[in-house]
Amino acid sequence: MLKRKLIITTLAMLTSLSACAFDFDWQKALKSGVDVVQKVQEANKPLTEAQEIQLGHGIASNLLGASPLLDNRQVQSYVNQVGRWISLHTERPDLPWQFGVLSSTDLNAFATPGGTIFITKGLMQHMSNESELAGVLAHEMVHVLSKHHLAALQKSAKLNIASDLAGQALDAKGNPVLDKAIKAGSEVYAKGLDKNDEFEADRKGIVIATRAGYDPYGLPAVLQMLDSANAQDSSLALMFKTHPAPRDRLNLLDQIMANNFDGYTAPTQTDKRFNSELALLK
Amino acid sequence: MKRLHALLLLCCLPLTAFADAIAYTVRSTEIKQQPYSDAATVATLNEKASVNIVLRKGGWVQISSAQGKGWVKMLNLRSSSTTTKQGDSGLQSLFNMGRSGSSGITVATGVRGLSEEDLQNSQPNPAELAKLQGYAVDKRQAEKFGGSSKLKTQTLDYVPAPATN
Repeated sequence: MLKRKLIITTLAMLTSLSACAFDFDWQKALKSGVDVVQKVQEANKPLTEAQEIQLGHGIASNLLGASPLLDNRQVQSYVNQVGRWISLHTERPDLPWQFGVLSSTDLNAFATPGGTIFITKGLMQHMSNESELAGVLAHEMVHVLSKHHLAALQKSAKLNIASDLAGQALDAKGNPVLDKAIKAGSEVYAKGLDKNDEFEADRKGIVIATRAGYDPYGLPAVLQMLDSANAQDSSLALMFKTHPAPRDRLNLLDQIMANNFDGYTAPTQTDKRFNSELALLK
Repeated sequence: MKRLHALLLLCCLPLTAFADAIAYTVRSTEIKQQPYSDAATVATLNEKASVNIVLRKGGWVQISSAQGKGWVKMLNLRSSSTTTKQGDSGLQSLFNMGRSGSSGITVATGVRGLSEEDLQNSQPNPAELAKLQGYAVDKRQAEKFGGSSKLKTQTLDYVPAPATN
């Protein structure tokens, strides 16, 4: 009697266990399938604007770790006014655009996702007027507008930022996923963007600067300066490594500018203003 | 002692390798009397003609050449610099000749911090990021700036990429 009871109980337990196991496996399989679908969807989904800005600030903080800001409020404020004015002539005027002059004597400029733009003191010192500054800032803005760095990050097989970051509170300090994305983001700056991204930034940058009232030839003039520079100079090393040759960039602008950009001139007072700002860099 | 002399001499030399401010034409180019397309033509330069750069103004560059003086379109010119120089001999400011008071830049010494390795190894600097945010201006301030600078908004569309790109 007891033996029979035991057999029945054991059988019942086994049945329920196997039922449990079956249920569990089924649910798990289903869930992982849903996860995969979600991951695929999220990987193709762009970051939200808030995430883009957050990531950009993280990368900006890293760049500032490599070169701090020039310690001059006047110059920083000037570049912010020029840059923010130009940003009003883009398709994303409401981003929290911010601009910084890095104290580095290298010649370079950077953009991070969400609207942070850096230009080095070294590059500014090699410019002749505000239209040239405008041309470089506008070039960098195109990288933000077209999300070139985000695309470069997404392309990297190791990282699906959007899916990894989905649903995460980004403001949490020390978020490992965000840290990973920022680190990978900083790599992009060391390696450079696709050369077609740079050509696009030149092509659209001249239009944005012109829309803001500047001389369209500011950016080509900077490229002429770079083209005439000694390519072996170490202050140009990273910039030359991460960008197409200035001559190729000039050739592209030569093709598209033709006579369409004649007749635009910047107010003379912008040139005077630039020169007095330049004096503060010495 | 000899070495000291050499060192002193080096210090006295201008650090900028001044460009001879020579460029060449990438196509047959008209020299204009004024920096406008419809200005009178002074002479026509052949492709690969050498010119001396005097001044830049917008998309135009004032030049002197064996064929005459005047203005040519900036993008018809390319620098004649070569890349055979080694090391930091300084940057040439070929197209910066128009800047008042200076025709070149001396090589700056100071913090670089932006090499490939620097970027890969850099650590976040939240204090500088906060400073950066403190310098930012808002849309209203930017509009005021543009207006007081007499910068006039222009309406124009992006130019499509050339087919070859």
